[in-house]
Amino acid sequence: MTATLPGQTAEPAIARPAPRRGRARVRSRNRKWVILFLAPWAVGVTVFFIYPLLATVYFSFTNYNGLDTSDFVGFRNFVYLFTGDPVVKTAAVNTLWLVVVLTILRVAFGLGVASILARVTTGNSFLRTLCYLPSLVPPVAATLTFVFVFNPGTGPVNTVLGWFGINGPLWFNDPALSKPALTLLTLWGSGEIMIIILAAILDVPKDLYEAAQLDGAGPVMQFRKITLPTIAPVLLFGVVNSVIFALQYFTQAIVAGSVASGSADMVGNSQIMGYPNNSTLTFPIWLYQQGFRAYHMGYASAMAVVLFVVSFAFTAILIRQLRAGNSEEARS
Amino acid sequence: MRTKAGRSRLRFRSALLITTAGMMAAACTAGGGAASGPAAAPGADQAVTVQVWSNFSDRELGILKEALDKYHGKHTNITIDNQGSQDDDKITQSIRSGNPPDVAISFTTDNIGQFASSGAWQDLKPYIERDKYNLEDIPQAVRDYTEYEGKRVALPMLADVYGLYYNKDLLAKAGLTSPPKTTAELLDFAKKTTVKAADGSIEVAGFLPQMGFYAFKPQIVATTFDAKWIDKDGKSILGTDQGWKDMFTWQKELIDFYGWDNLQKFTAGLGQEYSADNGFHAGKVAMMIDGEYRTAFLADQTPNLNYGTATIPTSKPENYGGGYTTGTIIGIPKGAKNPGAAWDLVKYLTSDTDALVGLANGLHNVPSTKTSLSSPDLKLGDTFKPFLDAFANKNLKSNPASTIGDQYLKIVSDFGVSWQTGTVPDLGAGLTALDKQIDDAKALGK
Amino acid sequence: MTALLSEPPEVTAPRPVPKPRKTKAQLLNWIAVHSIALVMGVIFTVPLLFVLLTSVMSDQQALTANMWPTEWHFENFVSVFEKAPMLTYFGNSLLYSGVATLGMLVSSIPAAYAMARFRFRGSNAAFMLLIAAMMLPPQVVAVPLYSMWASAHLTGTLWPLIVPYLVGDAFSIFLLRQFFLTIPEDYLDAARIDGCNEFQILYRVLLPMTKPGIAAASLFTFLYTWNDYFGPLLYVGERQDSWPLSIALASFRGMHRSTQWNLTMAATTLVLIPVLVLFLFAQKSFVRGITFTGVKG
Repeated sequence: MTATLPGQTAEPAIARPAPRRGRARVRSRNRKWVILFLAPWAVGVTVFFIYPLLATVYFSFTNYNGLDTSDFVGFRNFVYLFTGDPVVKTAAVNTLWLVVVLTILRVAFGLGVASILARVTTGNSFLRTLCYLPSLVPPVAATLTFVFVFNPGTGPVNTVLGWFGINGPLWFNDPALSKPALTLLTLWGSGEIMIIILAAILDVPKDLYEAAQLDGAGPVMQFRKITLPTIAPVLLFGVVNSVIFALQYFTQAIVAGSVASGSADMVGNSQIMGYPNNSTLTFPIWLYQQGFRAYHMGYASAMAVVLFVVSFAFTAILIRQLRAGNSEEARS
Repeated sequence: MRTKAGRSRLRFRSALLITTAGMMAAACTAGGGAASGPAAAPGADQAVTVQVWSNFSDRELGILKEALDKYHGKHTNITIDNQGSQDDDKITQSIRSGNPPDVAISFTTDNIGQFASSGAWQDLKPYIERDKYNLEDIPQAVRDYTEYEGKRVALPMLADVYGLYYNKDLLAKAGLTSPPKTTAELLDFAKKTTVKAADGSIEVAGFLPQMGFYAFKPQIVATTFDAKWIDKDGKSILGTDQGWKDMFTWQKELIDFYGWDNLQKFTAGLGQEYSADNGFHAGKVAMMIDGEYRTAFLADQTPNLNYGTATIPTSKPENYGGGYTTGTIIGIPKGAKNPGAAWDLVKYLTSDTDALVGLANGLHNVPSTKTSLSSPDLKLGDTFKPFLDAFANKNLKSNPASTIGDQYLKIVSDFGVSWQTGTVPDLGAGLTALDKQIDDAKALGK
Repeated sequence: MTALLSEPPEVTAPRPVPKPRKTKAQLLNWIAVHSIALVMGVIFTVPLLFVLLTSVMSDQQALTANMWPTEWHFENFVSVFEKAPMLTYFGNSLLYSGVATLGMLVSSIPAAYAMARFRFRGSNAAFMLLIAAMMLPPQVVAVPLYSMWASAHLTGTLWPLIVPYLVGDAFSIFLLRQFFLTIPEDYLDAARIDGCNEFQILYRVLLPMTKPGIAAASLFTFLYTWNDYFGPLLYVGERQDSWPLSIALASFRGMHRSTQWNLTMAATTLVLIPVLVLFLFAQKSFVRGITFTGVKG
């Protein structure tokens, strides 16, 4: 298995502007093709992005329940969201916890693993494959695996801890540890981030390191002053990617809560959702619960609006960053 | 947009967009259909296929199939398409998408409020009046949990009754020969039958008091303490009812006896609710409250367990003899293609004594009519007797239906979880806060 | 620097340093790094190992803390097929992922080409729209989309899941755009001079040169749809024979009143296999594809 990461293409890829002569002709010809090529996506983005987004805003002001026609109720849903709903605060806090913790740890862990992988000489491709493999595992399967492995009574983790005389904690059954346990699950499956960061690390020009070494800089200094700044854009991407991932966190939390609670129901029972003690109840899960199981689709839409606003704020950061990169590219 | 004109243009365009999207959205929503009178049952020469959905699976689905086959034997023109593993989510989704089954069987009785108020299930009153269906044959408590604010959209198909299961061997070890009848006795017995290891961890638990674990759910335990949910106006009264205070105080005492951490550690290692290593099956729990269906699981998975059954202990002797009841409900979803044929099948499954007895014997549930209760063909075993008695008792109770389904149960359950970990300083104030939360949640759907 | 960042980074294994005599420090360094790496590798594979081991355990043993199977029940894999119509679910997953991937290619490649190599009014806005669409949490638009499909009577089928991919997938367009950007304009200009129209350029010049990119985008779409849980839960949940594997696996545990962990783990293994096989065949493209999502531009 020789998994080498892609080699460099021969020519530098710099977009050159079209020749000045006949620019107008080029532009009108372009327009036809642009319309043709973009048409399917234009339809897609309108039907599956713009329309539902606006419709969600519309529904958030109604008492739509998915079955009959709906009535306009003004800001009632939002009032309930911010003052009345006892669970939504917990859900929001859980999601924010995940945003902060998952982001920091995912990028840091990815950076750590990538740094190690960058230095490994023997068996490096095998090792890289090994680290990336868990991220391919379907989320449901991965969650089932982890809850099984971390079962406080019969799971291997606590059994092994027992060999060392350590009383294993309750992991997914402990409200204080359920999110950390989910974090472990996420880190296990964060192969994508690792490989991206690894690629960026390996891409740092060797001569920069050599120059620094000549200047007397040690490995830590080199890391801080050379590696980190150079791979900063990739780290930023990792951060934004993790944030969006955490904001949508649904599958793993719901499966983990259901399995750990020992109940035979899957998503069936609203009382086990977020087990233990609502600690795994994320904002999207509560949205799903309210909209699709409690018949409160208007209220769920209000929640969706809030979720969108938050995720858009982070998206805006990425857009600004990409724009800067875009314009730099255009200039060079 | 820097110019004022530009900005107002933008605002106008946005408003236009939103209203257009809104109108499109409104047009896209599945509109309500017109209700008409009761549909006629198909004639004997009309070939009809009736779709039946339920959440049964494996063995239990087979039992339902037997009953359905019997019906088909009587009405050979009607073919029945029997689909199992269809939970409420799926039934609801199918109603929303306009493609529902003709007959829906649900385990989530608490959703009756939503089914009724949203029109998801059809009103059965016209059919009941037309065919002179005998509602009186169904016990009052059971009638209560199958209707909402007078609107009847479902009938009960078998019922569950909750009682006390106790491990005779473990009780004998503690010198106890008969099961507890009051909650005070239950507490006492629980302490006596518990076996702790040297370091304080639990080896055998007398009774597990954690909110939400196995069948320790608020609606079930409420009947033990005669705790009332709503007043006659439908307002939540947890804060003013004495039964709730009694229940939570009782629960805390037992939790403190075990130690919260010990309890969590112990239950984390117990098997799943319906698997063969369930705590009670495995002899690790001496007593538990559960439904009558567990007798079937015990017979199937651990037939050698020496256990007994009894009526649920109560806090006040005058409430003794009944128990908590809920049950499977059956109805006709909105948009069903063959409502007339569906009703005929529903009528059969809910009132035909043979059918009910067959189902009860197979599923180990309580047959839901008084007539079938006294049928000599019921072969449910001695351990079943306390449940049948409880079902016939006037103290049988259920929990009220609501438009928010089992949301209010979750609200109380969450509170119970906070309470049991000691994070609620004032029980009375906490319960009153719950009332507000429950009433607010109900207001959301209006 | 920008040129570097807009193309695939050079990621090869570090050239082995000629090692005449390793200093003690270097040797210790090597040991430290490789020990940590070894531990890391073990940690990453151990959970999968347990899944495999539990798959072949007996019913009772799966419920205990014993980690090594005392008996080997390979027939568990067969039992899984008996307990649930796994082949149907597999077929559904294949249908969903296969058609979605093909549809994605047909609709996203032209769009990516337009975004990469055409300068038109609104191209910046389109790009930002693309990013916004890429980052949207699906739960935000779930309610209206569900209503829409419900009134079209298509819930319970795989169509609500497949159709969005037939009209361009934001992430794939982004990825393909990055790949297309690496092909110098000169090649395309040369083809234009030869008289090719844009479609021919796309089909005859660009695509053959960016095969790894196409492969990467296809693999990502396939993988993402294969593992998709929320979408199927929402739209397909109501009809069991349309379930893809992701939901089937989640429900496997609760499908039968008594949970059998050994069978559940066996089912998990079965669901994993196609993905692992695919990865083994196409790891280069996978990895290449990921690195492209990480660079700015």
